[in-house]
Amino acid sequence: MIFKLFEALDKRFGFERASAHCDIPCGIYDPSGAQIAALTVVRMVDLMAELEAKGGAMDKAFANSMSRYIAVKEEHAEKAKHEIRVIWGDYIKPQHIEKYPQLHEVVHKIMQLGSKSRQTADRDTAVQLVDAVNQFAQIFWETKGVKTKRAKAPYNPPLEMVYPDL
Amino acid sequence: MMRVIKVTGDSLSPEYREGDYVVVATIPFFLNRIQVGDVIVFQQPTYGTLIKKVARVERDGDQFFVVGAHPNSVDSRQFGPIARQALIGRVIWHIPKSIR
Repeated sequence: MIFKLFEALDKRFGFERASAHCDIPCGIYDPSGAQIAALTVVRMVDLMAELEAKGGAMDKAFANSMSRYIAVKEEHAEKAKHEIRVIWGDYIKPQHIEKYPQLHEVVHKIMQLGSKSRQTADRDTAVQLVDAVNQFAQIFWETKGVKTKRAKAPYNPPLEMVYPDL
Repeated sequence: MMRVIKVTGDSLSPEYREGDYVVVATIPFFLNRIQVGDVIVFQQPTYGTLIKKVARVERDGDQFFVVGAHPNSVDSRQFGPIARQALIGRVIWHIPKSIR
């Protein structure tokens, strides 16, 4: 009742505003960016292997393609780490850690695998990165009470991914 | 004397939420008696008019260290304590948007 009165007065006279400012008021967090980035790392490793297997000349066309694959692999491994760090730092709260005590370990594993994926062209490492990011995604959606499902990615590489079952 | 202000943002949530109204007293009688736990409205050079809770009164009442309740609150932990001159008023009446 009193609120309605103030609201009506506000519409009529336009009261001042005071912001209870937050750094991130949007509350939009989603691990899918990290999942796609991790999957891209595997894809780049596959493309590098395919190019090498063609056995052509080590000419400038080869160098150009290979360097592009490497650059994208670098970029997306770092992106996967960044996306996870943001969710971990800004969204994850002590009550989540209490419920999922393995969370810190999963995040640390992602950081390590992301770095190793940049340092090497090892497919197993890149696949492990995808798995670890999927583990994180599963926990993330559980903290929001959203069910998840596992399905193969609808593009190459068709690895099994965790998706929110909306 | 008194000003009515609408709250935007959620850094004082759940006590104060986006859309709530507050009545603030701007007279020295109230401003000279600010204590820890009071909610104040003040001017901040970067963020404009802000509403936060007083966590510490410093320099014999000349500065206030203010915080929000939300972990992502932007407050004195980022921009330092608030000088008395930046004060607009002290909240004396809170009109929440809905009954909680």
